[in-house]
Amino acid sequence: MSELLSSLLQDARIWQGHKHRETTQPAESTGYQVLDNQLGGLGWPRGALSDCLLDTCGIGELHLVLPLMQRISAAGKTIFWLNPPHTPYAPALAGEGVDLDHLVMINTRDQGDFLWTLENCLRSPVTGLVLAWPGKLASRDVRRLQLASEAGGNVCVLFRSRRFAEQNYPAALRLELAPGEHQELKVNIIKRRGSWPGQRCSIALGHRANIAVQDSSRVVQGPWPEARG
Amino acid sequence: MSFRGPGPRPGGSPVLWLYLHFPHLLLDHVRRSQDATGALAIVDGAGQGVVQACPTARDLGITSGMRLKTALGLAPDLNILRADAKQEAWLLEDQARWLYHYAAHITLAPPDGLWAEVSSLQKLYGGLPAIWQTVEQALTERQLTAWVAIGHTPLAARLLAHTGKGECTADKGHILTALGNLPLQAAGFDKKSCTRLQRLGLNTLGEVFALPAPELARRLSPELLAIIQKIQGTRADPKAPWRPPHTFRQRADFIQEVEHAQGLLFSLQRILAELEEDLCWRQQDTDTLLLVLQHRHEEPTRLRIRTTGPEHRAEVFLKLIQLKLDQQPLRAPVTGLVLAVKRFTGREAPGGQDLLGETQDLNEAWHTLISRLQARLGEQALKQLAPMDDHRPEHAWSAGEVRKPGKRQDSASAQLPHRPLWLLKGPRPLEQTPVAWHSGPERISGGWWDGQRVHRDYYIARLPGGELAWVFRDVNDGWFIHGWFG
Repeated sequence: MSELLSSLLQDARIWQGHKHRETTQPAESTGYQVLDNQLGGLGWPRGALSDCLLDTCGIGELHLVLPLMQRISAAGKTIFWLNPPHTPYAPALAGEGVDLDHLVMINTRDQGDFLWTLENCLRSPVTGLVLAWPGKLASRDVRRLQLASEAGGNVCVLFRSRRFAEQNYPAALRLELAPGEHQELKVNIIKRRGSWPGQRCSIALGHRANIAVQDSSRVVQGPWPEARG
Repeated sequence: MSFRGPGPRPGGSPVLWLYLHFPHLLLDHVRRSQDATGALAIVDGAGQGVVQACPTARDLGITSGMRLKTALGLAPDLNILRADAKQEAWLLEDQARWLYHYAAHITLAPPDGLWAEVSSLQKLYGGLPAIWQTVEQALTERQLTAWVAIGHTPLAARLLAHTGKGECTADKGHILTALGNLPLQAAGFDKKSCTRLQRLGLNTLGEVFALPAPELARRLSPELLAIIQKIQGTRADPKAPWRPPHTFRQRADFIQEVEHAQGLLFSLQRILAELEEDLCWRQQDTDTLLLVLQHRHEEPTRLRIRTTGPEHRAEVFLKLIQLKLDQQPLRAPVTGLVLAVKRFTGREAPGGQDLLGETQDLNEAWHTLISRLQARLGEQALKQLAPMDDHRPEHAWSAGEVRKPGKRQDSASAQLPHRPLWLLKGPRPLEQTPVAWHSGPERISGGWWDGQRVHRDYYIARLPGGELAWVFRDVNDGWFIHGWFG
């Protein structure tokens, strides 16, 4: 087999339905064994876009990337937050062991600035991780970002609304995130390079609010007045 | 004849002066700022007569000294620039700045000349011809016209340079012969003395040199004798060395007004290249450039270009300026620009790893990226977070300017109860009934000291959508969401 062809197969750029190959694409462990297993034992792909689709904040989406943030900030690389919907809360991040000196928040005025900024961040060797909340993205822009990401070799996680789930989209990894009954995060893999989609797993994230797993007995009696409304 | 004045150094060669005469400095300056087409002439302050004319104008028959009306008759579309004494002084200083890279002892000769003491440089450069060549090359690089001459006294060098036939020689006899052949008019005497000497039947400087000194002083004036002796080198003519200023300032003037930012880049490129050279030569960096764009009828536009870290490369500055100009379109056509640098920082030793264990490359890349982002988005768009010592959630953090991560400091944050990763920009009314309560209440009360009183009970609650919220009840029994456990 020609070298080119074998490298294409090796990097899982050609989808082979009948064979699940161990691929060698560069990746960063997510820090959650359950999820890593579903992602071919690898984790977040490096040099490619990852897409997280969710309905609301507060379901544990930041905890999904927290282990990676901890590792990257400890390694001295910069983490960019691009147009976050709320303020990342500094005391909580510091409490989780993320070095705030390596976090840079950027807010852009319009979509043009957003894409330009994201592309620049992705291409830079100082970047370790980019978290971005882009809203609507044209397919053309995504392809451009994909190239920038390949050039920089960084992890880029985009958080978008679940209504974009149906949209055909050239990201390397697409995850659908939904809250579970017991504060866990249910992850549905919509797309993954070099494999079948459709794997599901759930990550226990009760600790994010200091709630022990299966600890329904400790649920406090709400002060919510029953008679109200 | 005893040799006095600056005098021969003990064991060294006698003093030699190099003189640069810029016959049309203003013209050169304007022409290199813009590749202008068409004839150009510099007129005197009163706007009456032509002082300098560019080659194109000279081809049309315009000469210096011509009346402006005549010149306009010859070339109706002549570009005219009025000479400005202050600007010329600036320009001359600019020339001294680059010449200072090659020679230590420089003296300005306003309005259009520079002296450089070169005898002490012969050993460094390996002879007079090498110095001459270096200077000529520097002149060519800067697209400047200058007449160069060497003399054994400052005045001798100057007189020879003014003839435009300076020679690269250290031989005093040769220099004196060349001086002797100069006509009296070229000797720089005042008009009255010149006439009186001519009436005596003297026509060249050599004939004046031949007169006995006491006679000269008695018949003419002691001042004239002083000048002649200074030319010959028998009287001291000390020149105070010029000191380079601690700032960088360069300007470009445009004959044709520039309407698009693109048109400024050409001259900016040249100025930034000179800045880079200047910084390399000082072994310094800078982080702030001030760019002033002058308009004909409006207040000048002032742009501050900041890099996050020390920088000296022209291409980086140019990119930042380009971004800044993209963001801020020109208000009016530009007639001139000034680039100034006032803040310098010492350059760090390149190479190796710094204390953080980062290579210089990464450090530089960080500064380049942040500067680029700040130039386009504005400095306020980039923020870094830090926890603050306050019990009120909205005051327990701060957003500051981005700076390079320094030494890691252990944040001595007290172990607070659990906090959410998202904080809302302001509390939002809680509209849904939570399905579960997980912890609380945590009472936070404070702020009586600065008038922003907070008195709340915080709970962690699960909303029907499955998300975990940080909610509180205030003193008026109102319920609000203040954060998400993301």
